[in-house]
Amino acid sequence: MAKKADAKTATPKNSQKITTSSTAEYFSKNLQQVGFSSQTKAVLTTLKEAVDNALDACEESGILPEVAIWVDKVGTGSLKNSDQIKIRVEDNGPGIDPDDVPKVFGEYLASSKFGRGRCSRGQQGIGISAATTWAQLTSATGARVITKTKNMRKAQECVVEVDIKNNRGVVKDKQSVEWEAKHGAPHGTSVEFLIDGRIQLNGEAGLLSYLTGTSLVNPHLTMHYTLPPTGDEKPKAITIERVTKEVPSIPEATEPHPHTMKLGEFIAHSHLFGRVTVGAWLKKGFSRVNEGTIKELIGAGIKRAVFERSVDSAQEGDFKDIYVALQNLQLMAPSTKSVLSIGEDSLSKSIKRLGSIDFFAVVTRKPTICDFKPVQVEVAMARLEDRSIEADASVQVLRFANRVPLQFDKAACAMVQAINSVNWRAYGLVQPKDSLPQGPYILAVSVVSPFIKFKNASKETVDASDELVEEIRRALIQGGQRLSKHIRRESKADELEEKLKHIEQFCPILVDGLCRITEASPARKKKAEEGLVKLLGRDARATEQELKEAHQILEAQVAKTAGADGPSELDADAELPSSDEPRKKAKAEKATKATKATKAGKAGKTGKSGKKETAAAIA
Amino acid sequence: MAIAMGRDQNIPKLSKDLCSRLLTDLEKAKRPVIYATKCSLDNAFYNHKVGYLTPGNKKVATELNVSSVKKMSRAIFILEILLRNIDSGAVNTKREIYYISKGEVKHSPALKPLDFQDQDESDSVIDFICEMLECYREDVNCYANDRGGQTYSQQLVVTETMPDGDTAVIDLSKLGTSPFMPKNRPQALKLSARKKIDFGLIVESEGTANTLVANGFTKRNNCIVMGAQGVPSNAVRGWSKLIQDQLKVPLYFFGDLDAYTMQNIFRTLKAGSAASLIRNSDFSAPDVKFLGVLPEDIKKYDLNDYPVKENDAQEVRALKKASDALKNDPFFQDKRNKGLTAILHWLLKNKRRCEQQALFSVDPKDPTMPEKIILEKIKNGVFV
Repeated sequence: MAKKADAKTATPKNSQKITTSSTAEYFSKNLQQVGFSSQTKAVLTTLKEAVDNALDACEESGILPEVAIWVDKVGTGSLKNSDQIKIRVEDNGPGIDPDDVPKVFGEYLASSKFGRGRCSRGQQGIGISAATTWAQLTSATGARVITKTKNMRKAQECVVEVDIKNNRGVVKDKQSVEWEAKHGAPHGTSVEFLIDGRIQLNGEAGLLSYLTGTSLVNPHLTMHYTLPPTGDEKPKAITIERVTKEVPSIPEATEPHPHTMKLGEFIAHSHLFGRVTVGAWLKKGFSRVNEGTIKELIGAGIKRAVFERSVDSAQEGDFKDIYVALQNLQLMAPSTKSVLSIGEDSLSKSIKRLGSIDFFAVVTRKPTICDFKPVQVEVAMARLEDRSIEADASVQVLRFANRVPLQFDKAACAMVQAINSVNWRAYGLVQPKDSLPQGPYILAVSVVSPFIKFKNASKETVDASDELVEEIRRALIQGGQRLSKHIRRESKADELEEKLKHIEQFCPILVDGLCRITEASPARKKKAEEGLVKLLGRDARATEQELKEAHQILEAQVAKTAGADGPSELDADAELPSSDEPRKKAKAEKATKATKATKAGKAGKTGKSGKKETAAAIA
Repeated sequence: MAIAMGRDQNIPKLSKDLCSRLLTDLEKAKRPVIYATKCSLDNAFYNHKVGYLTPGNKKVATELNVSSVKKMSRAIFILEILLRNIDSGAVNTKREIYYISKGEVKHSPALKPLDFQDQDESDSVIDFICEMLECYREDVNCYANDRGGQTYSQQLVVTETMPDGDTAVIDLSKLGTSPFMPKNRPQALKLSARKKIDFGLIVESEGTANTLVANGFTKRNNCIVMGAQGVPSNAVRGWSKLIQDQLKVPLYFFGDLDAYTMQNIFRTLKAGSAASLIRNSDFSAPDVKFLGVLPEDIKKYDLNDYPVKENDAQEVRALKKASDALKNDPFFQDKRNKGLTAILHWLLKNKRRCEQQALFSVDPKDPTMPEKIILEKIKNGVFV
């Protein structure tokens, strides 16, 4: 009874006012949704957001990016079991106007790219503000920014914090300083975060994987990075030089396609066009809508007069009728002009920056439409020279969305599902059923689209729609076919070597065995040995010739690669990196071992042993 | 393998001739080629007058070249071991031959390239030797485990002549609860009957055969009861043929109603197999009849049957094989076997199966009910 009475009296107290929160407030309480769900992820996400912004800024201004990165452990963090990490990223971009600095680093959803339909890395304007929030929450200090534009005499240094209540950037400790770029760029931005977190260098979710992945899909990027050493060594600065001097021009966005919009968006879109007729708005404001489409709409029952009316005066019912009729019309698929590709040429050069590789294959698919969104898929595959990984370890998968590495939640990603769906055994790789293939390979998949469907706000996984998975799968199959040429060529050389070895090993045993069973005389045995040597010698010569030709092809390809310092054409599948040379030489030496043994055999007492006889025949 | 003793196989001579031919070719720097009969369904023929699958003219040629030199060297290496066994009268299983070859390699490092990594490799070499010489592996003193063929009868007497000339008389009625079991090796057996034998019953399940006997089947009937234990071994096949030829009694096979039994077990017993085309003459009993379970028995005796499980790979494979057999197997294509073909069609169409033990469901309280049904079927001629 007492409880009931309490409940009655408590009711009025519990009915609270409905309040609204700022976007910053929401994200500050839900940072796990934007990549700050663990301490290691916090470090990676902060670095990633800073680098993404630097690269986007450079590309927007047509500047070849040169980015310097420092990550260091500077103390113990305030969170349990955490370190205090300093992350600094400096670019040679155009710099940020001092008035925009608080918006860029301290305000959520303040973006120059939101909804523009372009293939930029950042889209909504959440990431870097979230990094500032994380720094603020864990180290009680915001982002330290130094920036200088072309028109500024001196650089401006300040600390930006997020006013969480009002979703606004607040600038503190503002001062003019000399711009001292590490690599002498005349302008740029440097941003530094002091955050709590833990550094993971290796593994798929490690910083190194992020940095090498970023270098793969940004061939025009020169990257300097300094990471904390693993032992007592001093931190070492590493530089990955750019392999192309072409700044990718980000294609302009195309007008939206009517089939990709919802009714509300469709009506809201009309408000952007002022006092124009509905007909003009449709033709100007959408792609794949022209005079013919208007005629078809009239044919579908929309009155002609509606199209001549101003969009301001059009009724909601008119918009709805047009929208429904448009959805039922068969329109051309959206344009694919707005996607951006890295290109096979650049990928071929860039893949060598991943380390020593035996061979590789790259594929750039033509832009296509998946789920009514333009998409371009590119894949790069390479076999690593390093065989230290376990034989049954899965291949290393690098995933990229709009040229940003994706490092978490692999299993649900469209790219991994596509990889699993390919029968890699057909291309000479080991693959357990419905799993990733195994071996010392790297499989890199890049999806570029102005509208990538991520599964979450932290952009870790691309939604696996059937159409996208199929498109990626096709690219992988093409890549697998190209890669298998190398694998087959190699196994053919091995086969040929095996054949030569067989002749040397088995001929004397065979003749010995036959003579013992038939109790043949020594004269008969000698004659048979000579006959067998002649017989298999012919095979051996043919085999050697084949082997020689195979090696000549490899030599020619290596020379071509070395001469051009990378592939000069798009026939990347025929390319071999120069690092292949020592391995190939070793192989050639191994292959001609029989020949050398032959010569030695000839010099010795010919005919005394079947082995020598056989070797002589090979010579 | 009672029947094989009559064969005129001089393996040492055959081997020497073959090796000599190879050596002569080598002396002339001519590429030696070994021809062996192709043992597969596309080289199999069936004539109901002959009664078993016979080989056609297709041959498999193995030419000595860089690719085959390893295989040939290994074959000569193992042949030498087998000939040594024949010479000394020693016998071995395939597993033992594998270890003997390992021992040879251990003691002669020059033979190291011939070393086998596992038994599969040495087994395939033994099979290759048998193909080259067109003989059974028992002819080269390489024996398999004895499996199947447990035989019971109150009338049958077996007289065995031993290799040293001694004879042993085995009266099956004097063996108590033990059965007589043919061996997977050549045996010189002569069969006789103390009293007229009416029929022979070959039961797919050796367990069920034992049950029938324990329940008094052989006491109440003048017959021979034998358990096949699944796909009949060479011993079971040769023993069945011996009973058929020497005693001239009707033979009935009683097993499950399913594609595997029809195609793999019964066809092999009656007409041999494609893999053993060259030896089917000695290892098939063409007169054996299929007593059941027949499709009509299900209805007549209200037997428990059940559908083929779609997710059971083995059963699905058996059905697929049966469907292929209808198209490619000359045994099932012969119109004299249309009764058996009709059963296969029924199985493919209805996708149901019924086990031999289902007869025990007819009258659970009467353990002799299966015997009664079997006798009734024989009496009324309900078999194919």
